[in-house]
This record gives sequence, C-alpha cells and structure tokens, in this order.
Amino acid sequence: MRAKARILNFVAVAMMLGLMQNQTAQAAPPSSQTRSKPSQSLAIVVNRSNPIDNLSYRELRKIFLGERNHWPNGHRIAVAMLDYGQPERETVLRLIYRLDESGYQDRLLRGMFLGDVFVAPKTLASPLILRKFVFNAPGAIGYLRASDVDDSVKVIRIDGMLPDNKDYRLQIDERSAE
Amino acid sequence: MELRNGMAKATDLGARQIVSAYVQTSKALLARKLSRHIWTILLLLVLGGEAGVGLFVIRDLARSYTTVEKMYNGSVQGLLRFGDLEFEAQETRRSTLYALTTNDGNLQVDYADQSRKADRGVTQGIIQYLAQAHSRRESELGQRLQSDWGAYLKVRDDVLGLILEGSPKEAVHLDLSVGVPAFDRVRQDLEEIKETYSEQASQQLAAVAEFSRRSMTRLTASLLFGLLFGSVAIWAIQKSRMRSAVQLANLQMDFVASVSHELRTPITAILTAGENIRDGLVLGSESLFEHGSVITDQAGRLSELVDQVLLFAATSTARPSHLLRELRVDEVVADAIRSTKGLLEKAGATMDVKIEPGLPPIVGDLSVLSQCLENLIANAVKYSAGNRWVGIAARLNQAAQEIEISVQDRGIGIPASDLAHIFEPFYRSPQAVAAHIPGTGLGLSIAKRSVEALGGGLSVSTQIGVGSVFTVRLPFANEASQGIRRRRVPELERQP
Repeated sequence: MRAKARILNFVAVAMMLGLMQNQTAQAAPPSSQTRSKPSQSLAIVVNRSNPIDNLSYRELRKIFLGERNHWPNGHRIAVAMLDYGQPERETVLRLIYRLDESGYQDRLLRGMFLGDVFVAPKTLASPLILRKFVFNAPGAIGYLRASDVDDSVKVIRIDGMLPDNKDYRLQIDERSAE
Repeated sequence: MELRNGMAKATDLGARQIVSAYVQTSKALLARKLSRHIWTILLLLVLGGEAGVGLFVIRDLARSYTTVEKMYNGSVQGLLRFGDLEFEAQETRRSTLYALTTNDGNLQVDYADQSRKADRGVTQGIIQYLAQAHSRRESELGQRLQSDWGAYLKVRDDVLGLILEGSPKEAVHLDLSVGVPAFDRVRQDLEEIKETYSEQASQQLAAVAEFSRRSMTRLTASLLFGLLFGSVAIWAIQKSRMRSAVQLANLQMDFVASVSHELRTPITAILTAGENIRDGLVLGSESLFEHGSVITDQAGRLSELVDQVLLFAATSTARPSHLLRELRVDEVVADAIRSTKGLLEKAGATMDVKIEPGLPPIVGDLSVLSQCLENLIANAVKYSAGNRWVGIAARLNQAAQEIEISVQDRGIGIPASDLAHIFEPFYRSPQAVAAHIPGTGLGLSIAKRSVEALGGGLSVSTQIGVGSVFTVRLPFANEASQGIRRRRVPELERQP
C-alpha cells in the first residue's frame, strides 16, 4: 500500500515537472534586447534583504541541490533556474550540480519523490524575469551573467570572490550551450 | 400828410410785432432743443447705469466661472484622481492575489511586477495629495493614508515573497490575517478623503449657486430699472416734442397774424383812398394828388415789406441757393448803382464812385451782392440827413487778401448803444423811429447774412454827426472759391 502511494506520488511529480517544462518551453526565448553584451562570469544573486554576503562553493552546491532549505534569517530558500538550453543554466548544471540536463531531471524527480526536496527550483524564461523574481522573493537565489546584474539584486561572493575576480570559479562556457 | 405819417407809424408797429413773434419763435425752438437734449442725456445716464449694473453682473459671472473652475480643479479632479488612486490600490492587491492562483514562476513574477507598478502610482498620488493639502484635516488624512498604505505594502511584499518562494498557504494566511485588515484601513482612508472632496465640492457648488442667484437678481433689477426709466424718458421726450410742436404752431400763427396785420394797414389806407376817390369825396386836383400819393406810397411800402420779408426768409434758410460765378468788382458796383438810380434821383443825392484799377475778380452771386450794396446805399440815402451824398469805394487789402467795397455817408451816424444791434433782424434805432425814417429793420441783417454766406463779412465804422462807413469784405476769386468750398460745398457742387 505504501509502495503504491509512493508510485502515485512519483507519477504526479513527473506530470507536474512535465507541465512546467511545457510552460517554460512555450515562453518566449530571451530577446537579444534584454541581453546585454555577454560576459563569461556567472554571478550568484540573492534578494537585497538577504544578510548573506558570502557562500562557500560547497554551501552553494548544497543550496542548489536542495540539501539546505532555509537562510539564517528564517526565509525559505527559493532557487531560481533559467529555462532549458540557456548557457547560464548549462554552466550551473555543469559547475554546481555537476550533472547534465537529464541527470538533473532525474535527481529532481527522485528528490521530490523521496521528500528530500520540498520545493522544486523555479524555472524562469529569461534573466530579466529571474532578476525580478530574486528582487521580489526575500529567500530567492539565482544566477545571472555579470552583465545582466543591476541594483535590484545582490551579488554574493563565492569563496570570497566576486565575478570580476580572475580566479572566480563560475565561468560560462558558451560552446556548451551550442 | 397826416394819413401818410399814420401809415408809417402803423408800419413800424407791425414790424415790432414781427420782431416779437420772431424772438418768441427762436426761444421756443431753443427750449425745444434743450428739453430734447435733457431727456436724451437722462436716457444716456440710464444706459450708463445699465452698463454699470451689467459690469457687476459680468464680474459675478466671471467669479462664478472662476469658482467653478477652482471647484473642478480642486474637488472634481481630486475625486477623479482619487478614483484612479483607488483603482490602482485595488490593482496592487488584485495582482498580488493573482500571483496566488498560479504555480508558474514567470506569471508570478509578472503579477508581482504589475502589483509594484500599481503601488508606485498610489504612492505618488498620496505624495501629491499631501503636497496640495490646504487644511489640517487634509494633511492628517494624507499622513494617515500614507502610513496605512506603507503598512499594507509591507504585508504585500511578504505575501509576494511567500508566493514566489513556493509557500502559498503561508501567503494566504498572512494575507487574510494581516493584509486584508491593512488594505481595509487604506480603503477607509480613501473613502474619507473622497468624502472630504465631496464636502468641498458641495460648499463650492452652494457658493456658485449663491453667485448665480445674485447675478440673476441684479440682472433682473437692471432690466426693470432700464425698462422703467427708458419708458419714462421716451414718454417725456414725446411729451416735450408735442408741447414744442403745439407751441411752435401757436407762435407761427401769431407770426402770420402779425404779418397780416402789418399788410392790412397799408391795404386799408389804399382801400380808403380808393373809396374816397370812387365816392366822389375827393374834390380838386390837389386832394386827388394827395390821395394818389397815399395809394402809391402805401403800395410801395407794401411791396417793400413783402420783398424784405421774403428776402429775409430766403437768407434765414440753412442752405440758401446762390448762383456762384467769378465777378468783376466794377460790374457788381455798377449793378447796384443802376438799381438805386431812381432812389438817388428822387432823394436828390449825389454819388462818388472810386474803384481801384486792376482789382482781382471775386466769386459770388451778382444779384445777392447787388442787393447787399443796394441796401447799404438805400440806408446811406435815408440816414444822410441834409447832406445827400453817398460815396462808394472799392480797393484791394493785400494783407488780408480781400476786396473791400465801402459805402459811406455823411449823415447822422449811429449811436454806440445801437451798434451792437444794427445787424439784428427787425431792429430799428429809436432815433430813426423818432425821426420817422421809414424802414423794416431787415436791410442790414439781410446784407450781413448774404455776404457771410459768400465767405465774406460786413463791418461798420461810424461817428455821430460825421457819418458812417459800411465795408463789405470779400476774398479774391481763388481764396473766395476755396473759402466757399470749405464752408458751402453743397451749394457749389449744385451749380452747373
């Protein structure tokens, strides 16, 4: 009986993720006007009310993998992901999740099915929407090209380094997206 | 002889009656003009008063318009602005609630964006309201609204955060427990402000109604005032005209009666003399001669009186018609001498004529100028006493650009007291009357009017016991024609 319930739960989660995938696929691709000159650095951004200024690379992985759910101020962590096929997403999957797209989907489904992941990451259509999402949600965390960052969000240091640091680890590989 | 003297006396008395009638007629005309002008002035004053009241009404209307405009800008536009503000506030809340209805992060962000856009409009509106607040109550209301709106926005941000973070249950709970009461307070504040605007609009509307009522009252009063005084003025003017017309008719009747009487006197003398001859009462050639003389003298006087009255009437008209043309001075003088030749011979008078050679021509009517000189020559003969001499001279006055024709006598002269009146119609010197010198008192008046009508003038210099000199001054042909054109263009243009 319990196994049957787990299977039904898994199917429901799978359907929900499929729906989300369709919705984001229908969303308009990011226009060239909303994207400024590409930069190789990928900035990790949080809401400006978030007291966190610095995260270690390890903590960052835990947050994105759903292993950590709350910020020190008590707000629930809401991870924002860009839509499929965008270089920033590919970079995050490669450098933070260390998974490819299908591996990420499998892990997400499994985590939700098993109850390890309470809230699936929000999949957003463009960096502009992602930036607005982070601006509106106090517990949000997401990523943007350094050139897409503005004052509405806060860039946090990773291992004490900002995106303009030459040793910054999160660099976008444009070829991976192609 | 007695009969002849009696006739002369009667003729003088008739002339006085004519003078009296003329003076009364003139006075009546003057009174009529004055009366008409007084009422016209009164009518103008009434119209001026009307215009003054009209200005007051216009001022009130302008003030009403200003008040209405102020009311529109202040209250009506304020109400409209707050209607928009209320809508924006609702939109803020509505967009927040829409975000609850979807799991799509993109849509949620859109709704959050809409909510923030709407709340910026509300915040700006409140700031504007506070900046324009005039009363303490408005300021208090504005500050309260600002505070309540800020509180609601804080809750709204938390609700949006929870929605975006994936905690819809907590978002709903927070909205119901804190958001709804906070928004109700905002709505209540907005209602109170709208009520304030409504109250202000009502007060200003009442003020406008008061202005309008006052304007209507003034306008009605003004119209009634104008109607009343206009009616009175028109009635008075009509009455004055009627009275003047009746008075004038009466005076004209008197004038006609006087002239008739004056005419009847010589006619009666002629009839009497004629009847005596017919009835055989006149015996002897001497008596017959005397009666014949009475008849011819009285007929002559009658003819002279009629001629003088007609001539005076002609010169009295506003537009006497003259046959203007260029005339030589010697031609005019010769015509006058020719006409008075019989008179001079009868009186046994001598005449000296001295005309400067090469005088420039003058412009005038030959018959009029000749008549003028005839009157002056006849006067010179009548008043020359025993010294029957008449001198006529014509010369050029280069400085005045005029021709001067003077008629001189060596007679009794004119007393200073009479000089001011000798050109008045029907005036006769008491000495002349006493001396039984015949005349109607119209000759000098006619001469003066005739010369002035031609652009010239008539003056006199006299000395008692030495004689008098009457001088006719006429401009040269060029000057004359220009002067006459300036004064009497219609007469000149009428000439072929």
